Amino acid sequence: MGIINRAIRNISRRKIRASLVIIALAFSMAILVSIPAGVVANQKSANDLANNLSNTIGQTGETINQTLNQIDCSLAPSFSGFGFRAADAGTFTPGQGGIGGTRSGGFDPNQFGGGTVGGQFGGGPFGGGEASPMNQTLYNDINNSISGVAAVEPILQASEGSNETVSMFGRTFTRQLTSYTIEGIPLTSDLIDNYPVLSTNVTAGRNLKAGDSGVVLLSENNSAYFGVGVGDTVSILGQGFTVVGIHGTSSASDRLVLYMNLSDAQAVTNNTGYITSLRVFTQTSDLVTQVSTAISTLHPELTVTTGQERLTQLDSLQSTYNTALESAQASIGQTQTTALEEIIVVVAATSLIVLFVMLYTVRERTKEIGTLKAIGFSNSSVMGQFLLEGVLLSVIAGAVGIAIGTLAAPTLSALLLPSVNLFGVTGVRVASNVASTAVVSVNLEIVLLAFGASVALGALGSLYPAWRAAKIRPAEAMKYE
Amino acid sequence: MSKPVLQIENLSKNYMLGKREVSALKNLNLTVNAGEFVAIMGPSGSGKTTLLNVIGCIDKPTSGQVLLDGIDVGKMPENQLYKIRRDKMGFVFQTFNLLPYLNARENVELPMEGKGKSKAEQRKRASELLAMVGLSGREGHRPQRLSAGEQQRVAIARALANNPAFILADEPTGNLDSQNKAEIIKLLANLNLSQGTTIIMVTHDSQAANHTERMLLLKDGKIVKEKAGLHLAKKNNKCPNCGSSVQRTDEVCPSCKKPIFQTEELFST
Ligand SMILES: Nc1ncnc2c1ncn2[C@@H]1O[C@H](COP(=O)(O)OP(=O)(O)O)[C@@H](O)[C@H]1O
Ligand SMILES: [Mg+2]
Repeated sequence: MGIINRAIRNISRRKIRASLVIIALAFSMAILVSIPAGVVANQKSANDLANNLSNTIGQTGETINQTLNQIDCSLAPSFSGFGFRAADAGTFTPGQGGIGGTRSGGFDPNQFGGGTVGGQFGGGPFGGGEASPMNQTLYNDINNSISGVAAVEPILQASEGSNETVSMFGRTFTRQLTSYTIEGIPLTSDLIDNYPVLSTNVTAGRNLKAGDSGVVLLSENNSAYFGVGVGDTVSILGQGFTVVGIHGTSSASDRLVLYMNLSDAQAVTNNTGYITSLRVFTQTSDLVTQVSTAISTLHPELTVTTGQERLTQLDSLQSTYNTALESAQASIGQTQTTALEEIIVVVAATSLIVLFVMLYTVRERTKEIGTLKAIGFSNSSVMGQFLLEGVLLSVIAGAVGIAIGTLAAPTLSALLLPSVNLFGVTGVRVASNVASTAVVSVNLEIVLLAFGASVALGALGSLYPAWRAAKIRPAEAMKYE
Repeated sequence: MSKPVLQIENLSKNYMLGKREVSALKNLNLTVNAGEFVAIMGPSGSGKTTLLNVIGCIDKPTSGQVLLDGIDVGKMPENQLYKIRRDKMGFVFQTFNLLPYLNARENVELPMEGKGKSKAEQRKRASELLAMVGLSGREGHRPQRLSAGEQQRVAIARALANNPAFILADEPTGNLDSQNKAEIIKLLANLNLSQGTTIIMVTHDSQAANHTERMLLLKDGKIVKEKAGLHLAKKNNKCPNCGSSVQRTDEVCPSCKKPIFQTEELFST
């Protein structure tokens, strides 16, 4: 009959008491398992968020860097000058919930006239009308007389839709509901081969290619609007075009855009010889300032936007992100403080439960302890007996508690930890792909840690009672009833 | 001539009762030889239990010497005393003090723990001892399923586990009916005869005391009287009444026809 067997028998001897104690301890252990799991999950959410944000910023910065040699020119009050090609802007779009918060409201820029290409950085909800047409030949001198210019891409954009009057903030606006936007770009091999002028996200069929005419690349939205697919003929402003491909929406601003050859676009919209914007590619990106100054000097009527200015806008975006992250981190810190406090309480409660139960047991078994010592048990074997009983009690409870905690960790941690506010900055919304809700799950590490804790807390709680047991004087214990 | 295994010289034991000092034993002297069967009698509170506890090394003398085989145990530290209790002493209590959650065999095995015996050896020894006290077949019973007499037999078997030099029994028949009383006394007496175990037994019961070989009367912490018991007759094989030879198994003297184990008032307590 070993010491372990005796410990087990003593625990199972008082079934109701043992059950109650084990339930209480198991609950503590379940909490002890759930809290770290919750904290880990919160931390993971925050890390994912931080990673996603920095990826987004990085990618956008990269895109902007790739377009650093680009200058957009248009006549005021056009918004086309504000943006750059939507397909390039990628993840940065407010309509998707990208970084919508810098705008004053959740208006889809496409719902408003102008700015059909621009608007990534929120040209504002009350954008002006159609971009003013520019006589293409008037601007040939940009390519011919300004040094440092590598190529010029003339663009014609025209939106088709209906007008609607809306009241907002006590004022009345005429709002153009855009059905689709035609964008004409010159399909020359020089531009297509050397510059990012085509959509980068073709999901069906093929992209436009040099020399294409009478064909169109639709957006998915266009495809649904016209009810046509790849290979079909679509009638645009009364003229038939063959659909060669469909591009996916990589930003809200190209959601409604169909691409075709510039001359086709000029013909079909009755704008022969006219464009709405120019994109100037400089030979190197450090020539951009010089070239844009030269353009402004040559054509003071143009609104000129450079990649450098877009980078500045990105910076302000970055700081908004940082604020959001800081707020998330602060929130995580708050959670960790709460978690720590709760763990201290649980640890204290666990060892106190063991302490009182074992003190009671020792008191109850005073005579037994006296007998054991009288028949030759040493102080240390008596002490070991009671330590083992406390540890065993705690370990049984630990096993039960870990099992419960593993199952109930999401519920328990939700109950016990303050919810983490990852997007604490007012008005900043983060796209769904950026946000991440990590699942609260108990991993092996936490299980082992909690098991170790149950052993340690059992030992800690029964240390004093076991010491008391060892110190019992047998002669006096015999008189005890 | 037997040699003394226990020599008590000038033993005093005081207890603090609050601020008042209670004197339980006063300058007590006692020598016990190996193989003696001694009864300690005396009124309640006279110090019998205290004396037994001091001899058994579960209580410490206030002053004086307690020599076990010539070694003074009064000043020994606890980390040596427990070994003396385990190896030399066998305690038998009035209330049996068996562990209720262990069966008879497991109770008997308890003192053998830490003696380096294998489980099988412990088991075997426990079964043998239980058979010796007449409990073979009852090894697996827990105390609550045994009668009082049977429980005390288990306790005696437990006391014998490590083949001790002393059996210290504090009113071992105090909780038993007369039938069981007689049987336990017989068991102890036979143990003393067959194994030569020194037995010191505290008792209130004159009949029980009369079956020992030497009776001591304790009063106010002092030994005030000493008397020979009937057990001496058994040991010497002589009738205590007429002095003629008797057998150990005889209940009545073959010569004078008087009962050898008669009841008489031993001490007027
Ligand atoms: N632990 C103790 N504390 C105080 N007084 C005690 C203690 N143990 C015994 N006594 C006292 O010592 C005296 C002798 O007690 P005890 O040896 O138990 O007597 P007995 O066994 O003969 O009845 C009694 O007066 C008793 O009250
Ligand atoms: Mg007593």
